[in-house]
Amino acid sequence: MSARGGGGARPALVLVILLGLQFYVRPRLGLAHGAPDFVAIAVLLFALRARPGSAAVAGLAAGLLTDALTPARFGAGALAHTVVGYLGAWGRAVFFADNLLVTAGFFAVGTWVRNLLVLLASGTPASQMWMEAGVWSTVQALSTAVAGTVLAVLLRGWLDLRIRE
Amino acid sequence: MSVPYRTSSPFGPPRRTGRKDTALFALSVAVATLFLLGPPGWGVATARAIRGTVLVPFLWLQGEGERARTLRSRFEAVEAQRDSAAWAAQALPALRAENDRLRALLGLTAKVPVRYHPAEVLRQAQVTDGRTLVIDAGTASGVRAFDPVVSPEGLVGVVLSAERGTAVVMTWAHPEFRVSAFTEFGGVLGVVAAAEDESGESQMLELRGVAYRDTVAVGTLVLTSGLGGVYPRGVPIGRVVEVAREQRGWERVYRVRPEANLGAVAHVLVLSGAEGTDLQAAYAAEAAAGEEP
Repeated sequence: MSARGGGGARPALVLVILLGLQFYVRPRLGLAHGAPDFVAIAVLLFALRARPGSAAVAGLAAGLLTDALTPARFGAGALAHTVVGYLGAWGRAVFFADNLLVTAGFFAVGTWVRNLLVLLASGTPASQMWMEAGVWSTVQALSTAVAGTVLAVLLRGWLDLRIRE
Repeated sequence: MSVPYRTSSPFGPPRRTGRKDTALFALSVAVATLFLLGPPGWGVATARAIRGTVLVPFLWLQGEGERARTLRSRFEAVEAQRDSAAWAAQALPALRAENDRLRALLGLTAKVPVRYHPAEVLRQAQVTDGRTLVIDAGTASGVRAFDPVVSPEGLVGVVLSAERGTAVVMTWAHPEFRVSAFTEFGGVLGVVAAAEDESGESQMLELRGVAYRDTVAVGTLVLTSGLGGVYPRGVPIGRVVEVAREQRGWERVYRVRPEANLGAVAHVLVLSGAEGTDLQAAYAAEAAAGEEP
């Protein structure tokens, strides 16, 4: 993340915390595909405060990490996270207000679009698309929105985010 | 987007988006697309490198978390069994003798001796989790690529690649999964591959390559045949539910409901040196006894 808000140390610490949540806490939530995705939250939090180009590169890095763990079609996650990171940073700079619900929507839409792109790029059969994209991705998008908004509010001081409750 | 613009952001100070951002985005998309459309070997090698370096501490963390959760859930069961075990220990010699007599009477076949490595499944967030699974056993435990992976219910898949502490399993749900199979009793041979349920609610398998003259009844158990040198013989794959399609009087394809539920599987066994062995008796004995193999 950029040098604002306590230099690179605080954002790096936030990244480590999010990865810890992803690998230690998330599996213990017992929600399978419905559990919040903290890697997506990391990319979208980055997109909230970085330039679109940097957010795209961060998305690529995060996507390669997820692809390394689910290499059903290596590159699908990288492409999806890149696009979501770029569009998130670009769209936020143009449209977004500093509203809590809009921030939650940002996390929900970002996660859902990411999942849709992964499904499309990984060649998911059409008959499974509605179940995966319509049900599981939606549930994950909602849980990610809740977790992402809570984290954004808690960490807004560290990350220099302006969110009005 | 190539024309620079300036805007104010409620989340931070004003920023500019221009050619540099577009170039970085295009470069990132190009790299991702290269992996997506390039030779599969690139992705496998990159994934292996990432899992063996950057992700090592996080996979260790996840493994510890899984172990802690498993230990906690087992603790209560162990407590509950403690009193029963103490009671049973008093009668152990008598029980053992009785067990031997019953085994001899029933002619129960001993399990086929195959080396195995128990492993826990490390669930991931990606929506494609299920086509491949990450397990917490790797080359340090003796796990190698192409080792078969089974659960108490049946076949889960095959090890795609292995690192020191983890391995990636290609499950039966993966589009490239294939296993030579035969039907219980009937001995009809075919190849099992992933299929789609028309409703999309659950993933199914297909038994392909069955000669048109052969008929397989609904409910018939499909087992690994052992042909091909990867899987042992006799591991349950699934049960036939219907005829999926027929191809011009030449071939019949059957839809098969998998025995191993990938959504629920949490612990698996990685078999080593299982080529040429027959596990049908082991699974049959366990099924009869209602225990896990």
